Amino acid sequence: MSAFLGAFLPPFIVQLVIILLKIAVVIAIGLLHVAYATYWERKVIGHMQVRLGPREVGPFGLLQPIADGVKLFFKEDIIPANADKPLFYLSPVIFFIAAISSLSVIPFFESFVIADINIGLLFLFAMSSLGAYGIVLSGWSSNSKYAFLGGLRSASQVISYEISMGLSLVGVMLMAGSLNLSDIVRAQHQYPTGMFAVPQFIGFFVFVVSAFAETNRLPFDLPEAESELVAGYFTEYSGFRFALFFLGEYTGMIIMSSISSICFLGGWTIPRFVTDLLPFLNYVPGILWFLLKVYCFMFFFYWVRATLPRYRYDQLMAIGWKLLIPLSLLNIVITAIVKIWFRGMA
Amino acid sequence: MRAGKFIQTIFFTEIIKGMALTLRTLFTPPVTRRYPKVKRPVKPGFRGLHALAKNEEGKMKCVGCGLCGAYCPSQCIYIYTSEGEDHKKIVDRYEIEVLRCVYCGFCVEACPFGAITLSEHYEYSDYSREPLYMTKDKLLANWDRYFAGEKGLRYFRDFWRPKAENFSAYEGQAMFDKVKARRKEQK
Repeated sequence: MSAFLGAFLPPFIVQLVIILLKIAVVIAIGLLHVAYATYWERKVIGHMQVRLGPREVGPFGLLQPIADGVKLFFKEDIIPANADKPLFYLSPVIFFIAAISSLSVIPFFESFVIADINIGLLFLFAMSSLGAYGIVLSGWSSNSKYAFLGGLRSASQVISYEISMGLSLVGVMLMAGSLNLSDIVRAQHQYPTGMFAVPQFIGFFVFVVSAFAETNRLPFDLPEAESELVAGYFTEYSGFRFALFFLGEYTGMIIMSSISSICFLGGWTIPRFVTDLLPFLNYVPGILWFLLKVYCFMFFFYWVRATLPRYRYDQLMAIGWKLLIPLSLLNIVITAIVKIWFRGMA
Repeated sequence: MRAGKFIQTIFFTEIIKGMALTLRTLFTPPVTRRYPKVKRPVKPGFRGLHALAKNEEGKMKCVGCGLCGAYCPSQCIYIYTSEGEDHKKIVDRYEIEVLRCVYCGFCVEACPFGAITLSEHYEYSDYSREPLYMTKDKLLANWDRYFAGEKGLRYFRDFWRPKAENFSAYEGQAMFDKVKARRKEQK
């Protein structure tokens, strides 16, 4: 296609068109995934609670997310009289943009990534911390006790768990020798186990727990604890602004699943010893492996939500600072020593 | 013991047990009954919408004694009577405010003639109060609708035998197991 366009257009425009097309595809498919992540979550949790979940809209309730979206779009947009209006308008946008722009550095399969940048992982960290601004600002600008408490909780939680999440991925960076997500996947494929989750099991554990806390999911959903804070930071939001928060949260879950899939579970590749054993698996397109891993991780999100109760706030902080950060530091030290040792032998 | 507990804490055995339980329940059939589509069969003796019983000749059994209204805890039964020929009592109006009824069944228990009944019909929500104010005609029509034939006979035979007819209980009358056992002992 680039050759066809290149025949009568200057090269930078061709580049631009290709990037725009990639963005359109990723956003369309990403948002579709987000919509059906809600449906799937309701189904899984429903069946885990011996209920049915959505059944009425369309066959097996498959049109439920679309009906929800249409409903939210036509809902009345209520803004509290004493709200800080500019920030109130801005914060859902910050939250959503931060979540959706993380999609740009994720390699979905071999050489399909919107922005193949060398600081991919750092960019993801930056974006997930930027999302916290949306939460804090929405809590502040709503001028409501519940929203404010939710925002404060979210700020401290995200700051605490950002550290352990970053540190847990340092082990991966050390093993891969790169921050570029595509390079991390390729390095993983070279590795005998094919997945960093095996040698980096401590890092993987810390990452999973931090991912739950980062996305404000149960058992760490204190910023939006329904039974205490109504809905937390987005209590005062309605209509499409609420939908932006909702979409941002589920996009965040998909991003976290993608990071775990790329950094720990081998991204679009599967371990070499599996393909050696079953050669026909080489013909399965990489995107399927990637999506399968993402779906498994998403299912894990739902599974934990259906099982565990919410942690107390001091327990949350204790887990973050006293358990996860020391564990991830230990993981870094061990990984570094082992790597130097192996290099010394070679 | 302490080492065992330590290992349990490290490997989250409790959390894994819980996760295993939820995973198992994921594959059990849901207990949800999809109500308007699938209705639960009503057990006999259910206390639903009221009806005024008719005798074999198709006339109202109610004599207008007013015991049901006197007994009613929510006081939602209104009876108006007048004197007819031969000093006979005529029930002019017999009305029940269904929205205030608590379905305790005391009226049925109090009635000496088995005139007021509670049917098995419970789906009668409406958009205004007017259709839910039961007048005599409506209550009599309810009898034809919900107690036609065997059902009406069974209602009085098995559950609400009027005391005016017979004080002894029917052999196969529905009753609590303990009461049944005590009755047998007495015999």
